[in-house]
Amino acid sequence: MKRQTAWRVFAGEFNDSNVEVKGEGEMTPSFVVTPLGAKVNRLFIIGVLTDVENISQEGELLRAHISDPTGVFTLYSGQYQKEVTEALSNIDVPTFVAVTGKARTYNPEEGLMYVSIRPERILEVSADIRDKWIFETCKNTKDRIEAVMEAMKMDESNVNELKKLGYSRELSEGIVEALKSYENIDLKKYVTLIKESLQYLRPSKETLPDIKIDKDEKEIEEEIIDDKKKEKVTIKKKRN
Amino acid sequence: MVKDNLDSYIDDILNALGDDFKTEVSRENIEKELSKFMEYGVPIDQAKQTLIKKYGGQAVLTSSEQSSERKLISDLQPNERSVNLLCRVIAINPKEITVKGDIRKIFYGILGDESGTISFTAWNSELDLERGDVVEISNAYTREWQGSVQLNLGDRISIKKTDKEKLPESAFEPKTMKIVDLRSGVGAVDVTARILEINERETEIDGETKKIFSGILADETGKAQFTSWHDFKFKEEDVLQITGGYVKSWKGIPQLTFDQKATVKKLDKSKIPKKDLQINKMPLFMIVEKRGALDVEVEGTIIDIRPGSGVILRCPECNRAMTNNECSIHGAVEGKQDLRVKLVVDDGTGSVNSALNKELSEDLLGKTLEEYKKMDEVTMLEDINKKLFAHRINLQGNALGDEFGTSLIARKAKLIDFDIQDEADKLSQELEELL
Repeated sequence: MKRQTAWRVFAGEFNDSNVEVKGEGEMTPSFVVTPLGAKVNRLFIIGVLTDVENISQEGELLRAHISDPTGVFTLYSGQYQKEVTEALSNIDVPTFVAVTGKARTYNPEEGLMYVSIRPERILEVSADIRDKWIFETCKNTKDRIEAVMEAMKMDESNVNELKKLGYSRELSEGIVEALKSYENIDLKKYVTLIKESLQYLRPSKETLPDIKIDKDEKEIEEEIIDDKKKEKVTIKKKRN
Repeated sequence: MVKDNLDSYIDDILNALGDDFKTEVSRENIEKELSKFMEYGVPIDQAKQTLIKKYGGQAVLTSSEQSSERKLISDLQPNERSVNLLCRVIAINPKEITVKGDIRKIFYGILGDESGTISFTAWNSELDLERGDVVEISNAYTREWQGSVQLNLGDRISIKKTDKEKLPESAFEPKTMKIVDLRSGVGAVDVTARILEINERETEIDGETKKIFSGILADETGKAQFTSWHDFKFKEEDVLQITGGYVKSWKGIPQLTFDQKATVKKLDKSKIPKKDLQINKMPLFMIVEKRGALDVEVEGTIIDIRPGSGVILRCPECNRAMTNNECSIHGAVEGKQDLRVKLVVDDGTGSVNSALNKELSEDLLGKTLEEYKKMDEVTMLEDINKKLFAHRINLQGNALGDEFGTSLIARKAKLIDFDIQDEADKLSQELEELL
């Protein structure tokens, strides 16, 4: 069986998803389809691990949050992911982490769907690596916006026509599904999302917000120790 | 589905409804409803029946309607039942497979008609067909296999050899193709390419010794292997127009195959200058969808460093990597140490595996096997992760596909760094132009 692609998707796009394509039969994978047509079975995310909490009375089920410039990913890791669960409980927060994991869904009631991630692997990374992920994810998100715009131009969006334009089969299928299932896709929102994320990477181009206002002691402490980049993350985190 | 195709089905529906209804039901309505069905993947025959019934017509039984209707290969969709074809056998090969412990003979190959070609598998061990036969096939079925439609000849088919003139060779207009577009199962192609490598070997067919020429050819879009069953007297660096070959593939690498029936024309070498034959860089999904490719360049992020990376032991007899100090073939042997890293490289559109040998690994990691030997395993893996994990890497080599996905057999590997502020500025610019 072929390995599933690890999609680069911001939390802001992933968490907006409420469409799932369920695999029929035993070995067929399920996918979460995002509003921009990412057909996600596996993701690769990098962000700030902000908290880890054991939410199970008996046994171990960890809930963790990872923040990126656009929102927060929720992770659940339990006894069946022993290695990751152990790694998660040993990492001091906050820190930059990279996670590969599977998209999971939860439907508390008809028409309502929450997405989360079941991690397969987690590793601490540097601020520089995190920045590169933001850039890559901006680029991939922009590619998806363009693909959705192409599909919207068609009388009827069609996998083969999209593939002819040079998009992958997975993305083409995801976009056709997204256009069918989401009532209106707010492309502007996602363009703004990319723009804001890019600001992270171009600090000289924008004036940073005044950071002195809502700082608590812990943050001041961190700031003294940490370099400039980390400082920005702390502020953004606070604002989310 | 293409609109032209729908038109003929709409005609069928209107005809089935007869004159009484034609006035009441608009063509547009039927088209709209039929396309809706198509969108949901309802098989065309079911959709037709449903609409005919809906508008008061007499539904036709699928079998009686279908048994006479000949289909063109280019119209075939995945998951069609009862397919009837008139086609020519372009290639046929026997293959032995194991089914529940029994060895069974099956056949695979390529069938063609005037509209195109399709690869097929025949599950009948006594298929008496050879290349060039023209046959009428009924009750075949189709499946999707690795992104293209495949024809299956199961137990229920009937095959009848028929007059070769029903489908003369002239019906096969060769199709001009670029090398990047060559896929297994495509027949009668017209390719213009430069020969990069040629090897000669001999093989015995029906007691006769025959010379085979094989090697690598390329155009500006990519490289492929070729096999010629005839001596066309061409040499390395010749630029040729090869008309009438067909395409097989090995692990996703396309192989252009041709014989004395093909025409090979020598062209001026300036037609494909050597400098145009640069290595082709492609997004990972393209390689995964094609399954494999010859000599390509890819770039992606290292999203996993897999178990079995670092200092390993290899069997002195067969060079296999050993586990728990044992070789899976030669048992407990004194292994020799080697260094390798097994990577998963993913660019967000597709994922490939790549195992890097000692030279490439030492180069990327900036440490030698000797230095890693001195470390304990935890320190070594930490070091490798730190240097490689989540970094961007550029790889060159052959991509091979198998049931576990696609692997890149790297010939070159380098880590890629980029000026993130620069790139971010560029992307912001592009974004301004987007909406």
